[in-house]
Amino acid sequence: MAVRKITVALSGNPNSGKTTIFNNLTGLRQHVGNYPGVTVEKKTGMMDYKGYRINIVDLPGIYSITAYSLEEIVTRNYIVDEKPDIVIDVVDSSNLERNLYLAAQLMELEVSLILAFNMTDIVKKSGKKIDINLLSELLGVSIVEMVGSRGLGSKELLEAVIGEVNRKKKKKVEIKYGEEVENEIEKIVAILKKQEVPTFNFDRKWIAVKLLEQDREIIDTIKKASGPKYLEVEQTVSSSINHLISILRDSPEVIIADARYGFIKGALLETYKEIGPEKLDRTEKIDRILTNRILGIPIFALIIWLMFQFVFTLGKYPAGWLGLGFEKLSILITNVVPQGLLRSLLVDGIIGGVGGVITFTPNIILLFFAIAVLEDSGYMARAAFVMDRIMHKIGLHGKSFIPLVIGFGCTVPAYMGSRILENKKDRLVTMHINTFMSCGARLPVYILFAGAFFPAIAGNVIFSIYFIGIIMAVIMAKILRTTRFRGESDPFVMELPAYRIPTLKGIMIHTWERAWMYVKKAGTIILAISILMWILFTFPMIGNNYSQDYKGKIEEIEQSYQSGEITCQEQEREVAAVEAEMAGERLAYSAAGRIGRFLEPGFKPLGFDWKMVVASISGVAAKEVIVSTMSTLYSIQGTDKGADSLKTALNEHYPPLVGYNFMLFTLLYFPCMAAMVIFKKEAGTKEMLFQMGYTLLLAWTVSFLVFQIGRIFI
Amino acid sequence: MRRFGFGSWGRKERRGHFVKEDFYSMARAIPGKKYKIIKIDGGCRLNSRLCAMGFMPGEIFYVSGASMGGPLCIMVKGTKFAIGRGMAQRIHIKEA
Repeated sequence: MAVRKITVALSGNPNSGKTTIFNNLTGLRQHVGNYPGVTVEKKTGMMDYKGYRINIVDLPGIYSITAYSLEEIVTRNYIVDEKPDIVIDVVDSSNLERNLYLAAQLMELEVSLILAFNMTDIVKKSGKKIDINLLSELLGVSIVEMVGSRGLGSKELLEAVIGEVNRKKKKKVEIKYGEEVENEIEKIVAILKKQEVPTFNFDRKWIAVKLLEQDREIIDTIKKASGPKYLEVEQTVSSSINHLISILRDSPEVIIADARYGFIKGALLETYKEIGPEKLDRTEKIDRILTNRILGIPIFALIIWLMFQFVFTLGKYPAGWLGLGFEKLSILITNVVPQGLLRSLLVDGIIGGVGGVITFTPNIILLFFAIAVLEDSGYMARAAFVMDRIMHKIGLHGKSFIPLVIGFGCTVPAYMGSRILENKKDRLVTMHINTFMSCGARLPVYILFAGAFFPAIAGNVIFSIYFIGIIMAVIMAKILRTTRFRGESDPFVMELPAYRIPTLKGIMIHTWERAWMYVKKAGTIILAISILMWILFTFPMIGNNYSQDYKGKIEEIEQSYQSGEITCQEQEREVAAVEAEMAGERLAYSAAGRIGRFLEPGFKPLGFDWKMVVASISGVAAKEVIVSTMSTLYSIQGTDKGADSLKTALNEHYPPLVGYNFMLFTLLYFPCMAAMVIFKKEAGTKEMLFQMGYTLLLAWTVSFLVFQIGRIFI
Repeated sequence: MRRFGFGSWGRKERRGHFVKEDFYSMARAIPGKKYKIIKIDGGCRLNSRLCAMGFMPGEIFYVSGASMGGPLCIMVKGTKFAIGRGMAQRIHIKEA
């Protein structure tokens, strides 16, 4: 039997349970991508049912298909251009009037529509009644009752889809906008016809309605395509608008919206029975506490603190096991693969780089688990509500606070967590300043330098670095908001959905998607960068061009051991010291060392020497690598005393001002490659390059000022 | 953002056209009370958006909470929304 392919688009209001239904239908057979050219997520899934191969596209959650947001434009373009066989509109049955508004707009687009009335259990429990058959008749579309959270109704929905696909005669119910508006629509349709304005795939009447609503996207498209012919259309439209305003005393978009609501209300009047007065429901009771004027912020702080603990304290254990696993793997490779380039590449390059990134995976999984719980339960919207006033002052959204806090743990999940911000500008600004929330990997650097230069007040010095990071974030948010990301930010209107107990399945799928994306990146691009970094730090090889005869030295030590002058431990220690010196020279000879020397003049004004430059370059692989590079450069062998002798060496070589300055530089310049790769994935190459450029510039400028001004006083 | 919003409305208020009828902006709504939306002054894009969310002239809404100087929390057409002050200033209301 031939398999018939059909495409079904799933649309619906935010919080209507659309994603749950999508998950019920497709399970794990999902694919997450982006719509071409935009950062709106595109989820597709596949399933087979009764000889049909059904391809399901999960469209973004929207309230309407005007051109208000990117999501709305994406949805509209998808429906119009891709022409899915069926559009399912998922409707929250406990809130019919508002949810059916989108349905009314879909009906205007004349798609094959099925309404999935979700959460019918809540309706029944609250004693309301919907006459589904009559409503279906009045609206002219099939309606399926569902309870997505309990997996009920999926089969009925699929039956309806197949029924709709095979239906020969389509019913059509038209929405009447009232006589005045209809007259103006006719006029505009006539002029569109007369001027032979291209209509793309749209119906002329639909275009007329959109022109009256002053839909920017449609106006621009039509204008571009019709050129000078548009002038007459424009005149007709604006005279129609003025006419409507003068007689109906409201702008056309409001009148048209009113007509749609009128259509819905009319249909509901006969089919929907509300019993009993409004009562204070559970959501209202919980909100009394969670969004309380006084308690709201402390509760929010507590929840974020718990989340932080959950992600980083609990994640420490599996992360530790993974780290141990990679360590064991390097030992294994060291034993199996003979010494030489291949071993170095495997152990230092690949395991050192990719392993370091994979080690974060447990944190990522836990973080997205926590975010999914907060989102699905409905708390995330409250968090934004509570924090909005404070974040608004620095030009950010209430929700920005969450990724910023996560940034103190690790910048990678923080960038990914910025997805909770729907507005693109809010999201980008939040991402651009997130790096100043000093991540956990930078702490070893601070501990080393603060310990070396300010042993007595190390804690305070480290705190000052963290604090400067926060101040920088606030300043940069302000600056970015008034320059590069200026313009009208989204006015703040956000639904506070009813509190719900999240379903495990939904959370698991959500978490899995994100974690998998992260692991995939580690396996591809981060692998490539790791190898590149390794090449930089390994080639050109020094060969026999050492400044001293180290081999001879080692032989001398061996001899004195064999002649019994020194003990076994002494011999080992001395050999290690010589080998460390060799490693230092090898590094200085390598491309990275040469780049460091080449760049040294540029960093002299900051008080840095080439070793600090090389260490900073290695910090691109991962910030904590700065410590190990420093010890290689100062020829410190990796023993327990290594850290102390490195501190002594640093203290001898640099004044405290330079030490502090280096910490500042480490705080401010762009985060590690794993973070940058994720940045690119989330925001595109251009934004990533901007992030790298401006943070580097800022780091340089701040360090320059601190060093030059500080020098005067010290 | 303020260009179309509170500015023009404020002028009208000073001229005294609307004062008699007890219209004022949603930003001045008090928690625990019910109001009726009279007019939305947001420009066509924002108007369409607000209409889709259920903010229609004639609609009765209930203010369930407010944070000081921050967003308001209101219930309209059976759904709760958080609405920023800047936005609230463009919605003209009347006690219901």
